[in-house]
Amino acid sequence: MIFVLRMAVRETRASWRRLLFFFICIAVGVAAIVTLRSVIQSVRIVFGSEARSLLAADVLIGTNREWPAEARKTLDQRLAEAGSGERTETIETPTMVRPADRSKAVAKMAELRAVQPAFPLYGSVVLQGAPVYAHAMLRDHGALVRPELLTALGVQVGEAITIGRAAFTIRGVIASEPGRRVGGFSLGPRVMIDYDDLPSTGLLSFGSRADRRLHVKVPDDRIDALVRTLREDFKDDFINTRSYRSTEDQIGRDFDRAENYLSLVGLVIVILGGIAVSSVTRVFILQKMRSIAVLKCVGARSAQIIAVYILQVMTLGLAGSLLGVALASGVIAAIPIALGASTSILAQVRYGVTWSAAVQGVGIGILVSLLFSVVPLLQVRFIKPSLLLRDETLRRHRDVLSIAAIVIVSVSLVALTAWQAASLRAGLVVCAGFTGLAVVLHFAGVGLVRLIAPMASSRSFPLRHAVLHLSRPGNQTRVILLAVGLGAFFIVGIRSLQASLLGEFSVQVASDGPDMFLLDVQKAQVDGVRAFLGDKSHGAGEFQLIPVLRARVVGVSGREMTLEGADEVRQRGVSLGREFTLTYRDHLEANERVIQGAFWSSAAPEPEVSVEREIAQRARLHVGDTMRFDVLGRTISARVSSIRDVEWR
Amino acid sequence: MIELREVSKTVMSGSEPLTILHPLSLQIPHGRFVAVVGPSGSGKSTLLGLIAGLDAPSSGSVLIDTVDITRLDEDALARLRGEKVGFVFQFFHLIPSLTAYENVAVPMEIAGAADPRTHAERLLEEVGLTGRAHHYPSQLSGGEQQRVALARALANDPPIVLADEPTGNLDSANGRHIMDLLRSIHVNRGTTILLVTHDAELAAMADARLVMRDGRVVERVG
Repeated sequence: MIFVLRMAVRETRASWRRLLFFFICIAVGVAAIVTLRSVIQSVRIVFGSEARSLLAADVLIGTNREWPAEARKTLDQRLAEAGSGERTETIETPTMVRPADRSKAVAKMAELRAVQPAFPLYGSVVLQGAPVYAHAMLRDHGALVRPELLTALGVQVGEAITIGRAAFTIRGVIASEPGRRVGGFSLGPRVMIDYDDLPSTGLLSFGSRADRRLHVKVPDDRIDALVRTLREDFKDDFINTRSYRSTEDQIGRDFDRAENYLSLVGLVIVILGGIAVSSVTRVFILQKMRSIAVLKCVGARSAQIIAVYILQVMTLGLAGSLLGVALASGVIAAIPIALGASTSILAQVRYGVTWSAAVQGVGIGILVSLLFSVVPLLQVRFIKPSLLLRDETLRRHRDVLSIAAIVIVSVSLVALTAWQAASLRAGLVVCAGFTGLAVVLHFAGVGLVRLIAPMASSRSFPLRHAVLHLSRPGNQTRVILLAVGLGAFFIVGIRSLQASLLGEFSVQVASDGPDMFLLDVQKAQVDGVRAFLGDKSHGAGEFQLIPVLRARVVGVSGREMTLEGADEVRQRGVSLGREFTLTYRDHLEANERVIQGAFWSSAAPEPEVSVEREIAQRARLHVGDTMRFDVLGRTISARVSSIRDVEWR
Repeated sequence: MIELREVSKTVMSGSEPLTILHPLSLQIPHGRFVAVVGPSGSGKSTLLGLIAGLDAPSSGSVLIDTVDITRLDEDALARLRGEKVGFVFQFFHLIPSLTAYENVAVPMEIAGAADPRTHAERLLEEVGLTGRAHHYPSQLSGGEQQRVALARALANDPPIVLADEPTGNLDSANGRHIMDLLRSIHVNRGTTILLVTHDAELAAMADARLVMRDGRVVERVG
């Protein structure tokens, strides 16, 4: 053991320069893993700790209808039982806002939130400039608005805006507020008014789309029980209950996915480094053949010599990994500088290398160093001390131990990939992809060398020898082709994925996307709206009116699934328990395709419904089944006449 | 004692077998100084390689102190070399990444010796290289490198030292110095020395001589 340790130190001292490339390959890969994981984890900490503020309550109970009197009684009783302390109510509704000054002919969709004095229970409303938020600012028809509304309407603090039938004075500008997810979809900028002023707007008439929310504070150990009880109590009442913990869980799941994906990206970089490590190790062993023969001549066993080099590889792997962590620290330290004076929540994150990311990065760095060098190191066994008497070349041998090592390394790589992706399937797919690509690149390399072989008889000395070098013993042609090919593939893959994601996101800002949404257009208003928009003098271009109904499934009579009542639907109807947005129309959109049954073409004797493929699969619905919907209190039965595939992207 | 029983070595030359050592039987008692002489390609180094277990014979057996080394696996052979055989090569074959001291200490470290440092320093002193212990081979002259190699061969105090043309790469003064050292090792330690050389003058310093030609021992003197 003393020999192994001393030789490893001596060899590292003597050959670290030759193994610098090895060292850098591991460092870059580990830096990628540590940076990506640390950033995600740092961001996650902030989002996690903001979960209460995102909800602005411990428990949020909401409905998009009037609070039923019975439900309120039950609610009061349950909250009292749970020892609930403070509570406050809000009402949110999308509406159009315009300047009170009629000479300014603009209007803007806004998300109106009417709040009581106790709002927010958690977090705080931050206003631009000096003023500190106080509910008194909203009293007597005061309003706080987001800055984009000021720009859109051309108004300033102190001026008045009209919401519904009432005028409100802008008394401040909202920088941030609790209860609003970063990057979440919104119909327009936020406008906050006093809860007591909302009736004066006339927006809360029958059928209005308004979310009524009760924010409550509950002792931490009673939250889960309260949520469970309320969900049970209100399962048929269109009342939703959630706690900040479920928000935290959802955020956690989103971050888990992002972290695993990015870690996989980092791992692929380390694996590319590993391929280089394998090549460097093979060349290193070839260069060390004579020294290894000497060691065998003076009594060293193959296992001892392999142990020396494995220890050396692990030392370099550790050093490379630590350098990777240092590089990651540098990159992470630069993030706040890059974010500059941004006010986004990302700028509030305290970025730093997290312990778990550093430990994982170092572990992976050492493991990949070991996995990729062990197979070339096993060739040490085939170096004969007789080499010292006459020149011999090392031919690549494959014995049972080498094959076993290859199998163990492959399984370990799959396990490592699966661990990083947090999915065995993803691990297998990535490794199978790598293997397939490696085989293709191998044959491409062989083909390329053959293709240029005739140039070996060129008259040009450099060309002739360059070509000959590609196929000389100990050449690295295929390894280099493999590493470069995999690297190029990886870069192209990431770029394509990025382009695809950006393409997906840009749907919302596409040039042919809508500039404005009109919501809550009642049946009696449709003709008027259509006439108004059709009049080119109003400046509207193409428009489309889409009828929308909110409904819940309250029964299914089907081939595979029979559900009686909302209760059973909620308990057994996989994915049918939530509220659905129904639309009715006489045609399919461009992104839709009927895959079963037939889309209605004329008036049918009974109501029909077309179900989206994934919902149908999950709820085991088939053409011919009957679904019952509760639409604003009326139960409507409809026969499933088609299953549709919708390309959501 | 070294004993060879009908030992031969045949290699493939292209697709044709080529016998580089014809069946040879030989006994070298402990404490002898034997010179193996003959022209290049006569099989001298092959013979040395077979005795050291660096190479495997095509037939026959090689016994070192009654142990048939042809039956040993690679690891057992390595252990035997470490304990019983010291080797000096024509081209020194020092490990370039190690200092002179480390090159000498390595065989002792492999064998798990108690105090390699002191012993290595004494051996370097014995070959006159005290002041060069921390120099790398590239910083030493040919003669100095060969003296380091000689000290390394003696590291585990082996009963046998095999020297393959140890002066072949040295000038006459350094060659003479190495031969003097070998001679003193033989005399002072009672080490069996098998010296391969084609220098008749050096061979004359040995107790006995084997003359080889075309893979056969054609003459035995002493």
